Amino acid sequence: MSAALVGVLALLLYGAAEGFSIVSLRKNSDSLARWTTVFLVSGLVVHFVALQIRARRIHSVPYRDLSDSMSFFAWMIALAYVILFFRHRERSTGPFLIPLVLLFLAISLLTRPATLPARKELSGSLFAFHVTMAILGYAALSLSFVLALLYLIQNRQLRQRRTGLLFSRLPALDVLDRMEHTAVAVGFSALAVSATLGMIWAKKNWGTVWDAKLGATLLVLVVYAVALFSAPLGLKGKRTAFVSIVGFSLVLFSYTIVNLFVSKGHVFR
Amino acid sequence: MIAPMESALVLVGWDFRRTPLSVRERLAFTPDGIRDALGDITRRGVLSEGVIVSTCNRSEIYGVGTSADVEEAVTEFVAGFHRLPKPDILGSRYGLSGPDAVRHLFRVAAGLESLVLGEDQILAQVREALRVASAAGATRSVLHRLFQQACAAGKRVRSETGVGTRATSIPGVALELARKVYEDIDKRSFLIVGAGDIAAIFYDLLISRGARSIDVVNRTFDRAQALTARGGTPRRWEELGARLPHADVVVCATASPRPLFGAAEASAALSARRGRPVLFLDLGVPRNIGEDVASVENAFLYAVDDLKEMAARNLAGREKDIPRAEGIVEEEMSDFLSWYGSLAVVPTVTSLRRRFEHVREEEFDRQLSRFDRVPAEDREKIRLLAQSMVRSLLRHPTTALKEESDPVRRVERAEAIRHVFGLEDDAE
Repeated sequence: MSAALVGVLALLLYGAAEGFSIVSLRKNSDSLARWTTVFLVSGLVVHFVALQIRARRIHSVPYRDLSDSMSFFAWMIALAYVILFFRHRERSTGPFLIPLVLLFLAISLLTRPATLPARKELSGSLFAFHVTMAILGYAALSLSFVLALLYLIQNRQLRQRRTGLLFSRLPALDVLDRMEHTAVAVGFSALAVSATLGMIWAKKNWGTVWDAKLGATLLVLVVYAVALFSAPLGLKGKRTAFVSIVGFSLVLFSYTIVNLFVSKGHVFR
Repeated sequence: MIAPMESALVLVGWDFRRTPLSVRERLAFTPDGIRDALGDITRRGVLSEGVIVSTCNRSEIYGVGTSADVEEAVTEFVAGFHRLPKPDILGSRYGLSGPDAVRHLFRVAAGLESLVLGEDQILAQVREALRVASAAGATRSVLHRLFQQACAAGKRVRSETGVGTRATSIPGVALELARKVYEDIDKRSFLIVGAGDIAAIFYDLLISRGARSIDVVNRTFDRAQALTARGGTPRRWEELGARLPHADVVVCATASPRPLFGAAEASAALSARRGRPVLFLDLGVPRNIGEDVASVENAFLYAVDDLKEMAARNLAGREKDIPRAEGIVEEEMSDFLSWYGSLAVVPTVTSLRRRFEHVREEEFDRQLSRFDRVPAEDREKIRLLAQSMVRSLLRHPTTALKEESDPVRRVERAEAIRHVFGLEDDAE
């Protein structure tokens, strides 16, 4: 079976998970919420099969072009959400987080995967690990972005004394704060590992560690370090959420502009 | 199908809508009273099963009756039990039977009959009523199933509709707010300023929710000390400022004519807390907390009017969901009634006969066709013989069912027969 077809099946499963999570949030029903988890986890499994098919075909972790990297990215977000879900037992964030998975998987399915064989220096486990960690890091930071937005929304509703359906269904401020913190911690560590591995690889293959992408990544890491370690400095709640949002816009900048135009080593090919 | 039930299942009750408090008080049953009353009423043969739901808003006796005039007999019994003249309690009494009694219980469990629509306690009280009656040996299959299904209906109404979800009292709304800032109420620190009635209501609520860290500050230290008898720490008035940074939730309920603190004190407290949010609840009239506190970052200020408005909005939201809750009640009710109906004598006898006839046709007729040396006229005789055998086999179970006068025992026999002969999935 083709990877795209399996990918579409995964998309449908994620879509069903999103549908159930919206309805279960509205109706506050536990049984519907259980279906969300079932569909999400099956989507994750089917999606993994799709990635495997691509990996067999191109003989490497599927990240070499935009289509594969987006699909891999979507899978990592879904995985990160499932981890977050089982760690914090909080399901009311599902309707806001699953759309990210749907979006990136849809982009992947709409773009054409490359058929060129990989260049020789891009194979090897060091490089594969470098890219995998980077994508995991971005996925976790995407989640932290959504959680930060939810924090700000909940904060605003509390402040304006607006207590509608969304207010009653969203988790407490401190829960959102903790979840965001978990996501940032995972994202930060993965990205730091990825950058280190990237430098080792670059030193070997290019003879230098420097690349514009490294600059962008260091900037991202600094911003998230502030979010992560600022609590003792009195940066808590709303401000941490802001930092997280600034960090994520840098991530987007680094993933798009830097990759496409600035960095010589990070264009898709 | 439901006809035999009309006479059997009854409810006799008094509630806050029809009966004044002075009478309700005298009609209330203590847990021991419930045990005695149920023992008495079943021993006397007024009811063959019984459950008493007794709360401050209602006293209701559910039962399966053995005589035609059950409602009168139960009323008589209650009057005697509480030593009240029967005419005093007859006027406000309501009696329902059959599906109407079932519907009433399901509505009660769902909180649709409560003084505060959808309140939570009644479900636990209904569950407790079943437990006490079971322990007293007063329930058997019908009431047991009835009350379990009522609890299921109550639970569904609360989880699937908004009827029981949002708080409708000021302390309830305040607690709901606190849980939107900090999820685990029991692990948080509270500061109550004042030791009057409202402060006491809050204190009780917090203690009942398992909060342990409660500071009570009051101008008169003795009253703070008296209030914190069940946990928490009394504090002197001078300590107010020093305790402020420690509190995740601050409740002010004093009669002070001017605000006790404003934005300056609040923002000092918040920066000492390194920005961890604080919920300020101002229940004083006039205001106890300066309005400018609302502008401090990570501080959330709610005054008594805000809470009142939220409570009213939540109540309106609950009322909007009544039709959905009633839909659930009807669903659960028809589920119960179809179980009950299937246990009635006539459908059980019919299914049993059908099962026997089925066996005769399937097995006997099929086997008979294999004996090719049996002449045609003998075949007919053998067929008639088989039919008469089935009839004799059915005779005893049928009379045993039909002639049982105790309705509950009759139902139990029907249930046993359905179970033994595998008639459960025989849809009528």
